[in-house]
Amino acid sequence: MLSLFIDFKCPASYLAFDPTVALASHLGTRVDWHAFRSRQDRLPAERTDETRGETHRRVRAGQRRATHLKYAGLRGVEMVFRDDPGESDVALSALDCRLADPLSFVWHAFRAYWVEGADLNDAPTVLSLLEKTGNPVRRIELETAVASFDARQTQLEEDGIFITPTYRLADQMFVGREHLPLIERIMQKAVG
Amino acid sequence: MQALESDSPLIVYIDIKSPYAFVAVAPTLRLESELGLAFDWRPLTLDIPSYLGSARKKAGKVVEAQRSPAQWNAVRYAYRDARRYAEMQGHILKGTEKIWDTRRINTAILWVNATARDRLPAFLNHVYPAFWRRELDVEDMSVVESCLQAAGAPVKGFAEYCETEGRQAHDDLQAQLHPAGIYGVPTYVFDGEILFGREHLPYVRWHLTGRNGPAPDIAYEVFEC
Repeated sequence: MLSLFIDFKCPASYLAFDPTVALASHLGTRVDWHAFRSRQDRLPAERTDETRGETHRRVRAGQRRATHLKYAGLRGVEMVFRDDPGESDVALSALDCRLADPLSFVWHAFRAYWVEGADLNDAPTVLSLLEKTGNPVRRIELETAVASFDARQTQLEEDGIFITPTYRLADQMFVGREHLPLIERIMQKAVG
Repeated sequence: MQALESDSPLIVYIDIKSPYAFVAVAPTLRLESELGLAFDWRPLTLDIPSYLGSARKKAGKVVEAQRSPAQWNAVRYAYRDARRYAEMQGHILKGTEKIWDTRRINTAILWVNATARDRLPAFLNHVYPAFWRRELDVEDMSVVESCLQAAGAPVKGFAEYCETEGRQAHDDLQAQLHPAGIYGVPTYVFDGEILFGREHLPYVRWHLTGRNGPAPDIAYEVFEC
């Protein structure tokens, strides 16, 4: 099993979905999806009085977005950035509910955010998405998961998770889908 | 020197003190050799404290730090990550004791480019592994000169170059980088495209070999020495 920590509003998590599922399929395993709240900021505007660090972060943010869009375009993946990334805690909390088909939920949640502009921090929206993807979850179950989300997030941060997408394989952590060739090699060695 | 322009088909920005640049050097040199090209290697001297906080270690212990827990997690991960790939390349990567001033050793990249371009791979292959084994004080001019000598590059004139036209060229280039959209290492620049990170090497290779077939996704190429 391949453990992956994602956030629906994280562009790199979205772009990791297809290649990760493809690798899991190739290896005959499944992906165990975990929630982690990533920090997604508005694209900073250039200011005349910005510090060197602020300039660095602004340039980095702009280039990262351009790079995500570049690879999305090359792969034919629809991807629309929002001015305000918003939050996705409620949809992330759903990953801690008992889901019959988590893969379907994850894919549709990503599309809902990146293509349809849905609010994944809205409980009715998320419950509808769960229903549509064959994952009937009672409202009380979702609310319970939401209530314990912050505590789980804190625990994960203490465990060293700091960003998404993060793969966890035994005691190793890998940030980003660029590690999939190494992950494949490690998993193939593990099964002999 | 213009940040985004070169006679070479690819500009490669690196900094000796970056562990990610360290693990990018071998696969980038390999690509350069495979394709029979001469890439335009240039210094980007990172100002790490401005965006990742700062810390100083002594005898393996942090004695001074201005970093948040998230920044510490990111820095620790960066070293662990670079280390596992460095080990696959047959190298040792030790955590650094401080944030080094690499202007002098990075200026040496410009010097080797100008005086003995064919010695640049030898220079990078000498400096990077030794620095990350903590065997080089790259702030010391005599150490930088010994690196040039070990790589078979000219030494005479470097000290003066480093204080005059070399420093000027280095500083002029650094001033252009943020406005050009370049912020980290390794960065690959070609035909107006700016790509940060060695995960783009499959795409760079695809581009330099004629863009045949579908474009590859990002990936760290895995190889063992």
